[in-house]
Amino acid sequence: MTQGAVQQSFRFGNTELPPDAQRARRRAVRLAWLTIGFLVTAVTATYLVMGSSQAMKAAWAEDLLSFIPPVAFLVALHVTGRVPSERHPYGYHRSVGIGHLVAATALLTMGAFLVFDSLSGLLAGEHPPVGLIVVLGHEIWAGWLMVAVLAYTIVPPVLLGRAKMPLAEQLHDRVLYADADMNKADWMTAVGGIVGVLGIGAGLWWADAVAALFISGSILHDGVRNLRSAVAALMDARATTVDGTQPHPLHDRIDATLRALPWVAQAQSRVRDEGHVFHVEAFVVPRDGMPTQAQLQHAWHAVADLDWKVQDLVVAPVDELPEELLPGLRDATGARPG
Amino acid sequence: MTSSRRRRTRAGTRDAHRAARRARGAALVAGAFALVALTGCGADAPTFPTDPDGTLERVRGGELRAGLSPHEPWTALGPDGSPDGVEVALVEDFADSLGADVTWTTGGEEALVADLEEGRLDVVVGGFTASTPWTSKAAVTVAYTTVTDEHGKPEGHVVLAPMGENAFLVALERHLLDQEVTAP
Repeated sequence: MTQGAVQQSFRFGNTELPPDAQRARRRAVRLAWLTIGFLVTAVTATYLVMGSSQAMKAAWAEDLLSFIPPVAFLVALHVTGRVPSERHPYGYHRSVGIGHLVAATALLTMGAFLVFDSLSGLLAGEHPPVGLIVVLGHEIWAGWLMVAVLAYTIVPPVLLGRAKMPLAEQLHDRVLYADADMNKADWMTAVGGIVGVLGIGAGLWWADAVAALFISGSILHDGVRNLRSAVAALMDARATTVDGTQPHPLHDRIDATLRALPWVAQAQSRVRDEGHVFHVEAFVVPRDGMPTQAQLQHAWHAVADLDWKVQDLVVAPVDELPEELLPGLRDATGARPG
Repeated sequence: MTSSRRRRTRAGTRDAHRAARRARGAALVAGAFALVALTGCGADAPTFPTDPDGTLERVRGGELRAGLSPHEPWTALGPDGSPDGVEVALVEDFADSLGADVTWTTGGEEALVADLEEGRLDVVVGGFTASTPWTSKAAVTVAYTTVTDEHGKPEGHVVLAPMGENAFLVALERHLLDQEVTAP
């Protein structure tokens, strides 16, 4: 086993993004700022008209919480840009995971609080008062203003979410994915709020609390889902697609690339998601004896050229595949080409 | 084998998640349309907003039960115990506009607000301002006049109404906004 020596000679520097990913990054940054700008207007408008409606309060809290993912994305992007140092040899990619965890925890806490708040309002039979408001000398029912503000918040988040989604996949950024996913579902909050306010107008006092319960339930749901995926990534779960539902296809491609080399008898890797980029340890069993320096170098390039995400790569020649480091091996023996 | 099955079930969860989200969205839109239809076609619901407990309809042509907590110069009790002050006049005028007679109850703020909550009173006056601490127990109207308090801060003067009786609240507020009240 010469893993130590191999690790040192094959560890190359920092990930350079290819031009199309660079463009995606710049677009994602613009969209994050655009989201923040929109949220400033939405939060201000909602605050000004929310009055005593519980549904408006929940919608406002959701808009406030929506600041966290784009801000976390921008901060994480800034931090991951740092070059690995002696103190941080793996770089700063984990900042994405930390941002994701923070966002998820905020959603979970606020969602739980709002569910409790709405539910206790419903059980106590609170009747929300919504009276007149004077705008530019005109007396109008405040409910119509609430409906107008909620209607304003229906469309932009959906468009922003749709624009961010492909960028999140391309950049493999979980925070951006969580943000896009929440944006895409945000119209339901607004429509739910409108139903609640119109319900108050129709004399159904409980409609407001029920709408608030629906909105806070969706915040809580987002929190739980994101917390799961953030914790899984921080626990070094195997690399998955950005939505966390499937193993990342790059993993199979890495193994297949190594197995296709003429001097390789067996190969298998383990891949963890550092945030944006992967950390790959590939174990290869050579057909006869130690591979040459040139062969190993070639193997390293063959894998690293697959994708910009796999620059942090160790190729280790071993006598046999280490079962204790590759837990999938036990299930797969026999199925794997030997 | 195992891994491909796991992959399929994971993908299944995602599809289920999407389907659930779509169903939720559809239910919401249906709810919104139902509500609009309900509020649009309701011929027997003459006002929007309307009262869950029908306060405005009950008061119209009947009795307005008003509470008074003395707070000069806004509200006061005369030597013979009869209600007096700017806010008393406001309430009497409002009752007139609805063809209703006013029945006065006097007492401390806490007792009157409790009566309002229990549905034994329709309106309470007592020199309340927009920064009243009773907001979680009573609906606070728009300010009918604004005066500068002793700290130089502008303060709106308001009247208390029952929570969530929004047709009544809107009628009361319209009346208050129509009046030209000068601070006593």
